[in-house]
Amino acid sequence: MDARQRSPFTLAVTLVALVFLFVPLLLVVLFSFHKTGGLSFPFTGFSLRWYRDTFGSFEFREALKNSAIVAVSVSVVTLILGTLAAYGISRATSRLRAPIGLLFFLPITLPGLFIGIAMLVSFRRVDFQLSLATVAIAHFVYVFPFFLLIAKAALDRLDPALEEAASDLGASPLKVFRKVTLPQVWPILVGATSLAFALSFDEFIITFFVIGSDSTLPMYIWSSLRRTIDPSINVISTMLMLITLLLWVIAFAFTLRAGRGRARPVDPILGGEQT
Amino acid sequence: MSVVAHEAKESAWRGRELRIGPLVLTLPAVLGLVVFFLAPLAAFILYSFLTAGLFSVSGPLTLDAYRQAVSSGVNGTLAVNSFIVGICAASVTLVVSLPIAYWLRYAAGRWQTLVLFLITSTLFASYLVRIYAWRSILGENGLLNSGLERLGLIEEPLSFLLYNRFSVTVALVHIFLPYVVLVLYAGLRPLTPALLESAEDLGANAWKRWRRVILPLIAAPGATAFLFVFVLSAADYVTPQFLGGTNGAMLGIRIQAAMTGVGDWPLGAALSLLMLGAFVFCYGLTALGLRLLRLDRIRFVN
Repeated sequence: MDARQRSPFTLAVTLVALVFLFVPLLLVVLFSFHKTGGLSFPFTGFSLRWYRDTFGSFEFREALKNSAIVAVSVSVVTLILGTLAAYGISRATSRLRAPIGLLFFLPITLPGLFIGIAMLVSFRRVDFQLSLATVAIAHFVYVFPFFLLIAKAALDRLDPALEEAASDLGASPLKVFRKVTLPQVWPILVGATSLAFALSFDEFIITFFVIGSDSTLPMYIWSSLRRTIDPSINVISTMLMLITLLLWVIAFAFTLRAGRGRARPVDPILGGEQT
Repeated sequence: MSVVAHEAKESAWRGRELRIGPLVLTLPAVLGLVVFFLAPLAAFILYSFLTAGLFSVSGPLTLDAYRQAVSSGVNGTLAVNSFIVGICAASVTLVVSLPIAYWLRYAAGRWQTLVLFLITSTLFASYLVRIYAWRSILGENGLLNSGLERLGLIEEPLSFLLYNRFSVTVALVHIFLPYVVLVLYAGLRPLTPALLESAEDLGANAWKRWRRVILPLIAAPGATAFLFVFVLSAADYVTPQFLGGTNGAMLGIRIQAAMTGVGDWPLGAALSLLMLGAFVFCYGLTALGLRLLRLDRIRFVN
């Protein structure tokens, strides 16, 4: 039953928007392979010299390493605390459910600028040395609501009868979670964790205030933007986009996987059933 | 969930002597957010009522920082810029996203998954990379000017492309477009293509379908998305720093400078809280508007 409509105007807008979205990003990738140092047309030929330069740079490797350390710690902590919290809030009947839900959602509503400076003054107030640890804490606050929203939506969609049946047959709450709940939602949790990783890996607005003297990949790009432009910034930008894109593909694939075996396919992007 | 199932679940938890029930599982996250989010926010609010030292504060409580924040004409200009850029970015993003969401939902057919994937994949293109990309495209020696010159369309580079509110807005639209498309697409989900077609079969013309079926459905998500883009754009401090020049300078830059450059924390805090107050006012106004237009409680029953 194809109720598909013909809509040339909306199709045209979509195509123009795709060009608008992709051309700037593809130009960055294109110029990362430029033979000369030029950053504008004419494009004179391909070479990998900027990739060699960049990977040879100690600062770049250091920034990449720091970004990875922060993003891995943030994802692990978010996966554990986020899954517990999502399960708790999704199964709760207590009156405290609403205020806790609000607290979990609140960081999304505040611009990063405010979160960043509030954390800066607080860390300074208690003499907590700014480091990668403070960056990881700030990133946790930032990515937690995103993880929670996805995980909670997945848990809310489950058929409660399955858990109740297991519980009535004598399984402990932990066993119910491990044997009944987790097998149904783990692909979504993997997807949400890679989203957390990607968000942390690319975060700049809050990071800027709480980082101290270390560097991350976005910080490295930021400082290159302030200096004279060197084509290696295209390389670093391309790497950063490639890594986050890879994580998005993982998230997308796992969410698609979560939809298999159901009567109706699950929408890979929004979750929920496709209609 | 049926009432019976609900009660059964409750008794299952109660049977295991977990009086607070599953909420106890949220405790680690609640603690984390109270210590690292609510407490800093409270400290930050307090700081706006203190007196500035160099990267430090001292008592007693005073309104000096607020007085200083509102008496400066520069802050006023920057606030106006933030407002203009926020409104422009939000309006353009919303207007462009509407037809895209419509196409994805009702006309895309088998292209739907692919195009949704493409659009959302650009969500993950780094924020800073986008700013950098637009700076290299719009600059005087940028890709656009050098391209146009080579094509012989212009003789002198166009200088109005970069370092103003226009370039800031372009980059912000580029950043937020995928989010808004997703939000509107989600808003259209309850209305299946078949249902929209039946509206047509029942005699609703294009305008009527738009006015009576689609608009009520996306009013609330659309307004939310508009606010989201407005707030995040108006509070941005990085995009205007690199793309704004003097014409496009915004309040966020001033706040950032007060916090990290000048070290006047109470001023930075006071400016932020004034801005936050303005945002809360906008949230309230939108909620009120939706309620007055009776668009806040649209429920769609399939």
